[in-house]
Amino acid sequence: MTTYLEFIQQNEERDGVRFSWNLWPSSRLEATRMVVPLACLLTPLKERPDLPPVQYEPVVCSRPTCKAVLNPLCQVDYQAKLWACNFCFQRNQFPPAYAGISEVNQPAELMAQFSTIEYVVQRGPQLPLIFLYVVDTCLEDDDLQALQESLQMSLSLLPPETLVGLITFGRMVQVHELSCEGISKSYVFRGTKDLTAKQIQDMLGLSKPAMPTQQTRPVQPQEQAFVSSRFLQPIHKIDMTFTDLLGELQRDPWPVTQGKRPLRSTGVALSIAVGLLEVTFPNTGARIMLFTGGPPTQGPGMVVGDELKVPIRSWHDIEKDNARFMKKAMKHYEMLANRTAANGHCIDIYACALDQTGLLEMKCCTNLTGGHMVMGDSFNTSLFKQTFQRIFSKDFNGDFRMAFGATLEVKTSRELKVAGAIGPCVSLNAKGSCVSENEIGVGGTSQWKICSLDPTSTLGIYFEVINQPSAPIPQGSRGAIQFVTQYQHSSTQKRIRVTTIARNWADVQSQLQLIEAAFDQEAAAVLMARLGVFRAESEEGPDVLRWLDRQLIRLCQKFGQYNKEDPTSFRLSDAFSLYPQFMFHLRRSPFLQVFNNSPDESSYYRHHFARQDLTQSLIMIQPILYSYSFHGPPEPVLLDSSSILADRILLMDTFFQIVIYLGETIAQWQKAGYQDMPEYENFKHLLQAPLDDAQEILQARFPMPRYVHTEHGGSQARFLLSKVNPSQTHNNLYPWGQETGAPILTDDVSLQVFMDHLKKLAVSSAC
Amino acid sequence: VTRCPAGGAEVEMAELYVKPGNKARGWNDPPQFSYGLQTQTGGPKRSPLTKRVAAPQDGSPRASETSGPPPMGPPLPSSKAPRLPPVGSCPASSVEPMGFPDIESEALIEDVLRPLEQALEDCRGHTRKQVCDDISRRLALLQEQWAGGKLSIPVKKRMAILVQELLNHRWDAADDIHRSLMVDHVTEVSQWMVGVKRLIAEKRSLSSVEETNEEKSEAAAEIQTIPGFQEAQ
Repeated sequence: MTTYLEFIQQNEERDGVRFSWNLWPSSRLEATRMVVPLACLLTPLKERPDLPPVQYEPVVCSRPTCKAVLNPLCQVDYQAKLWACNFCFQRNQFPPAYAGISEVNQPAELMAQFSTIEYVVQRGPQLPLIFLYVVDTCLEDDDLQALQESLQMSLSLLPPETLVGLITFGRMVQVHELSCEGISKSYVFRGTKDLTAKQIQDMLGLSKPAMPTQQTRPVQPQEQAFVSSRFLQPIHKIDMTFTDLLGELQRDPWPVTQGKRPLRSTGVALSIAVGLLEVTFPNTGARIMLFTGGPPTQGPGMVVGDELKVPIRSWHDIEKDNARFMKKAMKHYEMLANRTAANGHCIDIYACALDQTGLLEMKCCTNLTGGHMVMGDSFNTSLFKQTFQRIFSKDFNGDFRMAFGATLEVKTSRELKVAGAIGPCVSLNAKGSCVSENEIGVGGTSQWKICSLDPTSTLGIYFEVINQPSAPIPQGSRGAIQFVTQYQHSSTQKRIRVTTIARNWADVQSQLQLIEAAFDQEAAAVLMARLGVFRAESEEGPDVLRWLDRQLIRLCQKFGQYNKEDPTSFRLSDAFSLYPQFMFHLRRSPFLQVFNNSPDESSYYRHHFARQDLTQSLIMIQPILYSYSFHGPPEPVLLDSSSILADRILLMDTFFQIVIYLGETIAQWQKAGYQDMPEYENFKHLLQAPLDDAQEILQARFPMPRYVHTEHGGSQARFLLSKVNPSQTHNNLYPWGQETGAPILTDDVSLQVFMDHLKKLAVSSAC
Repeated sequence: VTRCPAGGAEVEMAELYVKPGNKARGWNDPPQFSYGLQTQTGGPKRSPLTKRVAAPQDGSPRASETSGPPPMGPPLPSSKAPRLPPVGSCPASSVEPMGFPDIESEALIEDVLRPLEQALEDCRGHTRKQVCDDISRRLALLQEQWAGGKLSIPVKKRMAILVQELLNHRWDAADDIHRSLMVDHVTEVSQWMVGVKRLIAEKRSLSSVEETNEEKSEAAAEIQTIPGFQEAQ
């Protein structure tokens, strides 16, 4: 068992890959009977401090339909200087530069430890990064000032060559011309009228006669320098005037009468931002950063009217088909998101307000382009300020943890096809022999575009085994998958990361136990959860839950050990033991339950769930709970009401919240002030320990989580109580014969009841 | 409000503190970490808290309860319970941010401003007049705020260190202090700091030009037409 866990961990560290199955069922029919699809979580740019990039370009297979990259799985004839592609079996001549290779003189890409390798492409122009700030001015003074300061600060964190631009909006939209002359000038647009890219181009004077005919060719920086210079300038040239410009931003001057919302032209402002970059810097790494303090209230993309007496849509309104502006607004933002993705740019949304801001309608802007979505109460909070600072954090090399304009290509050996991907990407519609007809997630392609990603951005990639039993795979042979990610590094270099992995095929009839042992239940839980959340975006909640339940029951029927019709005999092997409880907590999670969340909150939670790596995703599904006491060092405890004890401190991490909860006795001791008495220094340390651990989490997490410090009976204890398994409720108080734990006032089913039902259904012959 | 260990060198480089979030504006706002803490690299990281306990297969919470040592009871005033070692690597100690050694007294305005003004004078002739005037205006603002008592002690002290780095031609270090001030004290410094930032950049480019000139001294006479030095045109 340990060996497989180690194998899985090593593969994740080296290749950024976690597969649901690490031995692959060798026929299509058997694969479908495994219930959990053959799939993986891929972190394309996983941080690898031990892997310096090589300074040459990859050698690719000469078959035009293949073009797989030379890798350690290829057979090499050192005498004849030939290599055979392990995907299409084409024999290729090595390029002249490889004339000196031999068994003892191999290039890195042939060595087994370089199953993941990164190449630096020397060709092509080095283009600067571009940051276009799109700033809402309908903010309270306090918020506006905090935002201005954060934006000024960001100028100090960006490299001096970065191009920056500024669009502000309220009732009108202003595109600011930037010059070092200190005279500020701006172009003003009405916020009610949508403009085509062509109109924006004309009005801003960006049209150039030669441009339209050269759509496909990357635009040279020299010819761009002139047109863009008025709106996008390198920081080192305009930092002083830009700082002043930001400092002088005023609240939107249009009066807002009582009972009205300010008129906010978010839709047009974004449209202009997208259009500006579209004509000036297509296919260059660029971020549009939208900072908004409320919902769009006029023009295309409006989410709610300006009458305060009409509240913004709720889940109830949406169910009743009573959300007047929703569909039209979504269409507007989808159009913008698709254009942005096609241009290779990304859109971030920083929404800070107490009420909803329309994230539901605008979510595709971030989700399709790989941009960030940040939701806070105010720009004058540590949550916003620090989350924003972390956008500019740097890695061990001093490079920004951000990459742009990536394309991910997946190649498979012929027993496999790729069915789809779920993550911050769009399809590039690349058809080919390895594309499955069955779509899972975003399918029908072997290539996806990820306009912005960081070292933790993770995609779920789903496969289909297509081998027929009539064509058995020889014993001991392996299937292979290659991931090729081309991207613009934050140093503006173009880079290609290639990961090639292989797993053994196994015959389900004779080797089922081996296949079981190679099951990665954590990866499987996250991959199934992504599928569930993906479905939840388009289907009714109960349907998704039913689908998840059905999958779980089928999995238990297939891999459980039991006597028919005898629930007490049911057992799962270690490799599956955690899976049911992951599903139990997933069913209760905000990713599938919308109760108690606004549509914006649901969009926000789902946004982050669809891009985080395995560890973080699992925390979101089943929060982590640690217990601190005088009984020993801190230890992980069951996420269960029985873990809530009077003499313990609990630390819970739900990804979005860090909760510290003092048990009843601990809280009393604290109130009595024991921690201040020298003879109880140990109590002081006990109180401090979870704070230190929480700090460690807070320091690394993006986005900053909310931080709750509460105690037994405190109103905020509800965050803990709503997450733990309600094993003790008001209905079954003390059923385990113990007076410990905290009863939860809920009618939700507990894990025990869930498991009982699951066993009953799994062993039943009726299903 | 917390503390963290820092080497002597780091103490000079950055402030290391955590302050509470803005609870008035943000619900459960998390604490705020200083620039120094956020960019801190290395140091022993404790293992991340990512472990889980598997629920027993019948789902009942009791069966899997990990059996620990018997409870030692509450810390009643008479009991001398053994001290529980703190979990982390940071021993609890002072509450105050310990950014600076106390031996250093408050920085003096002249010690900071004069070198900056001198640096600006050095740049005149190489840097466009308008840029110089802009920098000058911001230095005046700095002087005004300092003299008016509007700058906090940490800002004054860090400015003094920045100036030292500038005088020693340690551009990256100076730039990093500017960055830490922008992150940690943006409200105080945002109006004039950009001038200091620009001054660091201009001084750096000037010194690299001077170095190039020393290398090819025969070209010294043509200082006005150095290629690539477009700001001066």
